[in-house]
Amino acid sequence: MRHLSLQISLLEGKMVSSDKPNPVYDIRISTVAPGFISGHDAAQELSTMDLAMKLHYLRFVFYFPSPAFDGFTILNIKESMFNWLSHAYIPCGRFRRSDSGRPYIKCNDSGVRIIEAKCHLGLDEWLESRDDSRNTLLVPNNVIGPDFTFSPLVMIQLTKFKCGGTSVGMSWSHVLGDAFSAMGFIKLWAQAIVGHYPAQPLTMAQPQVHARNCQSLNPSPDPLSVKRVDPVGDLWSTSNTSKLETFSLCISTSELIRLQAKICREKGERKISPFECICVVIWQCVAKARQGLGPEAVTICRSDMRNRAKGIITNKSQTISLVKTDLSVAKSDPMELGLLIMNQAVDERMKIEETIERDDELPDFLIYGANLTFVDLSDVPFYEMEVRGQKPAYVNYAIDNIGDEGVVLVLPTPKNCPDGKMVSVTLPENQVVELKSTLKEDWCIA
Amino acid sequence: MLKFPKQSYDHLINHFYSIILILLIIIFGISIPAFQRTPFHLFNHLSFIHGLAFYLLAISILMFYFLNKPRTVYLLDFACFKPSPVLRVPFATAAEHGRIILASQPKSIAFQVKIFERSGLGEETCLPHPLHYLPPNPNMMDARDESHLVIFSAMDSLFRQTGLDPKDIDILIVNCSLFSPTPSISAMVVNKYKMRSNVKSFNLSGMGCSAGLISIDFAKNLLQVHPEAYAVVISTEIITPNSYMGKERSMLLPNCLFRMGGAAILLTNKRSQRKHAKYSLLHVIRTHKGSDEKSYRCVTQEEDKEGHVGIALNLDLMVIAANSLKANISTIGPLVLPLSEQLLFVFNLMGRKFLKLDLKPYIPDFKKAFDHFCIHAGGRAVIDELQKNLRLSPEHVEASRMALHRFGNTSSSSLWYELGYIEAKGRMKKGDRAWQIGFGSGFKCNSAVWKCNRDIEATKNGGAWDDCIHRYPVYEPDVVKL
Repeated sequence: MRHLSLQISLLEGKMVSSDKPNPVYDIRISTVAPGFISGHDAAQELSTMDLAMKLHYLRFVFYFPSPAFDGFTILNIKESMFNWLSHAYIPCGRFRRSDSGRPYIKCNDSGVRIIEAKCHLGLDEWLESRDDSRNTLLVPNNVIGPDFTFSPLVMIQLTKFKCGGTSVGMSWSHVLGDAFSAMGFIKLWAQAIVGHYPAQPLTMAQPQVHARNCQSLNPSPDPLSVKRVDPVGDLWSTSNTSKLETFSLCISTSELIRLQAKICREKGERKISPFECICVVIWQCVAKARQGLGPEAVTICRSDMRNRAKGIITNKSQTISLVKTDLSVAKSDPMELGLLIMNQAVDERMKIEETIERDDELPDFLIYGANLTFVDLSDVPFYEMEVRGQKPAYVNYAIDNIGDEGVVLVLPTPKNCPDGKMVSVTLPENQVVELKSTLKEDWCIA
Repeated sequence: MLKFPKQSYDHLINHFYSIILILLIIIFGISIPAFQRTPFHLFNHLSFIHGLAFYLLAISILMFYFLNKPRTVYLLDFACFKPSPVLRVPFATAAEHGRIILASQPKSIAFQVKIFERSGLGEETCLPHPLHYLPPNPNMMDARDESHLVIFSAMDSLFRQTGLDPKDIDILIVNCSLFSPTPSISAMVVNKYKMRSNVKSFNLSGMGCSAGLISIDFAKNLLQVHPEAYAVVISTEIITPNSYMGKERSMLLPNCLFRMGGAAILLTNKRSQRKHAKYSLLHVIRTHKGSDEKSYRCVTQEEDKEGHVGIALNLDLMVIAANSLKANISTIGPLVLPLSEQLLFVFNLMGRKFLKLDLKPYIPDFKKAFDHFCIHAGGRAVIDELQKNLRLSPEHVEASRMALHRFGNTSSSSLWYELGYIEAKGRMKKGDRAWQIGFGSGFKCNSAVWKCNRDIEATKNGGAWDDCIHRYPVYEPDVVKL
């Protein structure tokens, strides 16, 4: 029961603070699989971009207030899931390695791990605390491995709050697809609950056959947007040199307008979009917090709408662009930085794919956190996940297992909050305090 | 070369009595002219009293025969429990759970993987919901829930198929080996369906996988004593309380093979129902090898070193099963085999025992006696062993293999899933004889012989095989790699 007790203790042992008892209790673990034979043991190949993203995990928590799950017993929930997964069987598979060592998914209907839990607190009480680390108690924090062939790719935690509200926590392995893909997957469940099923099951974008280039005598250096890590083998996880801390900010539309005005002051027109303004502000504040020791390059991830199709999970619909400067970021003009981001961002996806395919050993990369990474998730339909007609009160999203440079996520605001953007910042904890004070001083953002 | 003499031998012996009768008629016919010379001579010897006494004696003998003839037991219909897809345990999930639960015992994990790979179970077998948890922690309430689900579902199907009113049930027999609560499962059924207060209910527990045929035998005997009665037999195994939580290898096998299942069977002795009945029961033969120590101890429920209760299977299980089958066959053989096979067997036996000839023991060809075989789907090894022993073709054991694949080892109800398969395939024709063989702890081998009463169409009537029969038979490789 080693893995099991490890899982349970990880869930139960995570304390919010050392003197308070764990509010989440009564943990029960089971597995839900497709109700009908769906995958037929088919082999699903992974594309190069999938393998590039494999070390990252997306952790979602959807908070649903009371009427959404009322009267919906665990057996009802599981029944809807058994029906759902018959139409979304790829994430129910498990990894295997081909003869060359390249991982692929065997669609053997193994299923999704389900964790049921209860919480002592009411939903409102929980959300009021605004403590980002609390979200980790409501979503599984699994990784792939060390038992590679038996590790679930997706895990879901259903936590029932004292008041009747329920949170749905989903842990999604990035190798399957990006945040849009994960939302597509979980929204199929919401539809299955009311008896609507898609015409076709969820599929993965077909990987292109790569002509393997002969290894050049002088291999070119890795793209700057990735960090090569030591081979991880069967345990797809890395550790950070320093502990990372997450905090979030709510920036209203009026504040965004003010920021834009401040950045673009000479030009008078607003040429820099809200997302890029946020990137500029935080990039500069982080540089100041680090006392001028970089970061000279940042990675920008945005949605590539051209490549996105419904009913497909993929990693090819997110651009990974690098922005680099030789000047001191802390002292630069924000407008310059903004123009740099807008015009000089280089999409490195092709380079990343070539770097991986070039090497027989298929290197392991970290993308998020290799540099300070900004991810634009404003268009991700987090709040369209409706359970029995009820939208979530709040959705928390985090990327787990990232590099030491940190990530900044730009998310949509909850429906009942003033319009604007939610910004979630994850940085080494020794930089957080400085950053917060710089943001307050320079930009009046609290 | 030997085919022609063998066929003529078969025809000669099997129609022995008919041939003798024809010869007698011919002889009588030839000798009638001899009597014709003195007809009145004969009649003078007969007096009126003698004639009357002769006819009265004949009538009494006939009446005695009809009154004491065992009542024919008819099987009107049966229904098998069809588990919902929500209870499905795919192959890979079962292996994964086993791996997590046994994480501290790599040898036990390897053993379990070997069993899974060779088990013959398919991807759609089902376990009750509490056993889907890691680790399973079932309580009595869960076991009762499973019995409600399985038994009431099968009973509802049976009532729907036959149109029977629960108040018409005179005899109720339930067999469930490993779960025996108070009030009993038969009381639970009486309560649910509001049966009459004078219903004769019986609950058999602890009798293992062959208990289904024991219940049929019991019902048959009761129907001799109670005229014009309906008897319902419910065969099931409630597996919720019996998941083995320990690590002993000899006890891991049931976890891998046992799955949810149950069947409800309606029997009657009413002559008015004989046109509607699907089958009539010809024989039930029960063989108990409990007096032999090895047979008695080969399947035992016990606690392991850590106190976990499980069912330990001995390594010589197959040998004991084969021996008990031989004993059963030697009883059933004379009842069902055609005379030709019986004579061959007797000659072979006499040759070996008295004349000390070096002959291989002759195994009668049961394919001549039966059209369909339902072998308890205890596991692939059991079916393989019996196929070899009885010299059956793959078509004959197809029902058993496919029931094992689709439903797993459902214990005493597996024979009914197999019969359901044959019916769903449209292979059951009027006059066909089916042989059900069940094995169980003790060690018992029981068999039942049914004769099909009317052609049975493969209609979709909500049965357990309805939505999947078109996919069968499936080819099963010897080893399925996980």
